[in-house]
Amino acid sequence: MRDSLGTTFAALADPTRRAILARLAQGEATVKELAEPFAMSLPAVSKHLRVLERAGLITHGRKAQWRPCQINAAPLKEAADYISLYRQLWEGRFDRLDTYLNSLNNEENAP
Amino acid sequence: MTQPGTHDTMATRTLTIERVFNAPREKVFTAFTDCEHLMHWWGPHEWPLAHCDIDFRVGGTWHYAMRETATGNESWALMLFDEIISPEFIRYRDVFSDANRTINTDLPESASTLHFYAEGDSTRVVSTSMYADAESLKKMLEMGMEQGFKEMWDRLDAYITR
Repeated sequence: MRDSLGTTFAALADPTRRAILARLAQGEATVKELAEPFAMSLPAVSKHLRVLERAGLITHGRKAQWRPCQINAAPLKEAADYISLYRQLWEGRFDRLDTYLNSLNNEENAP
Repeated sequence: MTQPGTHDTMATRTLTIERVFNAPREKVFTAFTDCEHLMHWWGPHEWPLAHCDIDFRVGGTWHYAMRETATGNESWALMLFDEIISPEFIRYRDVFSDANRTINTDLPESASTLHFYAEGDSTRVVSTSMYADAESLKKMLEMGMEQGFKEMWDRLDAYITR
């Protein structure tokens, strides 16, 4: 799980790749359509797409450039879940600390 | 460095959680730095602290274990204290270890801060943790926070959770 998360986050670290993903979140697109907003060559865009594909973030026919790319949400969800695990951990800690501090207050205030 | 609630995104892997506690700052700070208190709340109910050895100073460590009541399984960790301003601030790293304090480098470490703000008789605690391996953390920092970044993530978030 951790290895694939590392791949996901590494792929997401690049702003162009995030922009490509944001575009694909709106619907599938060809390499040519993806290249247009970036003023980048098709090979340069293809390179980013390969990184995204290796991370499992998109699916794309390697040989056919006209075949549309599609976003694959599963790794993104996993990445989001990873953060939410730590959120739960801290919310739980704070809940218990709150209970504990209140119990100390009650002891002090006891007659 | 980090304002509460603003950096909780998947891309930075930074999680900010805050809570106001009904106790004065000194008391809340001590609850984080003294085993006598930590034993009562740090571990989840089903994973209470079974071992606690804290050397609370810059360069010191907190070595602890949580033990699952049902199975007896133990999870060891080391907290490394990098900066302390009592009773306001703690900067630390969290790593997985074993009973002999050997750091498990296969599992990611997290870099974290705890801020304690006095608010009358209450205390606001802000916990910020950045969960990343060194390489992706470096990339995250280089990348900075671009304009329009949040909006894009909101769209992605909406997409993946639909």
